[in-house]
Amino acid sequence: MMNASLQGWGLWFALAGACLGTYVCRAIGVLLSGRINQDSEIFRWLAAITYAMVATLTVRLILFPVGLMESVPPWIRILICVLSIGVMVSKPTKRLVPALLTGTLLLVGYGIIR
Amino acid sequence: MSSADQPYIDPSEIALEGLAAERFKNRSDAFWSGMRDAAGAPAMVLFAGMVGFGAMGRTNGIDGWFITLSSILMFALPGQVVLMEMAVTGSSVLAIALAVTLTSTRFVTMTVTLFPQLHEKDRNRNLYASVHLLAMTAWAVSMKEFSSIEVKHRLSYFVGLGLLCWLISVPGTILGYFLAGLVSASVTLGLVFINPLFFLLTFTEVKPWINRIAICLGCFLAPIFTILDRDTSLLTTGVIAGTIAYYIDRKWLRKRAGFIG
Repeated sequence: MMNASLQGWGLWFALAGACLGTYVCRAIGVLLSGRINQDSEIFRWLAAITYAMVATLTVRLILFPVGLMESVPPWIRILICVLSIGVMVSKPTKRLVPALLTGTLLLVGYGIIR
Repeated sequence: MSSADQPYIDPSEIALEGLAAERFKNRSDAFWSGMRDAAGAPAMVLFAGMVGFGAMGRTNGIDGWFITLSSILMFALPGQVVLMEMAVTGSSVLAIALAVTLTSTRFVTMTVTLFPQLHEKDRNRNLYASVHLLAMTAWAVSMKEFSSIEVKHRLSYFVGLGLLCWLISVPGTILGYFLAGLVSASVTLGLVFINPLFFLLTFTEVKPWINRIAICLGCFLAPIFTILDRDTSLLTTGVIAGTIAYYIDRKWLRKRAGFIG
């Protein structure tokens, strides 16, 4: 799998591009602050794209991982995700930390038993 | 801009009274109070995410300098994970830069809602430096706290808060990178799993229907596009699912369509 990854200068150009793109978004925010309505159409559209991209990224990391996570059977990964979400939504109050711990410790537990 | 146009982002015009007006003695007090507020549960989750990111980089065989620099210079966890995931699977530099920039567009919205609440005197060129400290954690805490902080102390509070979040990210990343090499494979598995799990769990807290639809469509389309062409799937799924969600929202969920600007 590693021979498919970016090597040498390509990797650093990608980092430079990513840093630049991220900072430019922050700077545009400063430039526009106080001049543009946060509820405008373009923001709604960009927010939807962001959420869809993060959802895609999450699905890829869980279902199509590269490296170490590949050694865990997909059904185990999915089961742990379902259990963690169960902990998260089990109470109306915020349960992010317990849910995050549940998932992480379950996977560590699986790794030890294996 | 009159407050009538944007009633929800101009609490600075609301007169503060009593305790709220004198919450901090001076700028330095506000700064250190921001730092203290940062050292709570939200920052611990951010720290864990950075540890997970460092561990993920190590197991994928990425250079330690590369992942540390991304925490210092990007300081945007979803974007950093996109960068690493796409670099590992060999996407083109252009596709990576475009995908990361798209995930970072949320900073535009965040800045636009937060910075108008700062004092007029503080709204100068120095904000172009301070804005680098803006990320989800500092934004969420500031949005909640600003209404009870005197306008002239808000920037100091934000800088204290953001600075600590930024400063803990770097050792977090380095710690994750070295831990992944030291601890057993089972613990490393747990570390690598922190970020996908964190993103997944935060989806349950998303309220607007447009974003919920975007997430569901993204989850549904992701496997299809990943199998079709992994290199561009993040971009294509994001843009297609996001645009469909936007149109569903615009055509059916909203009573009247708005306009840009």
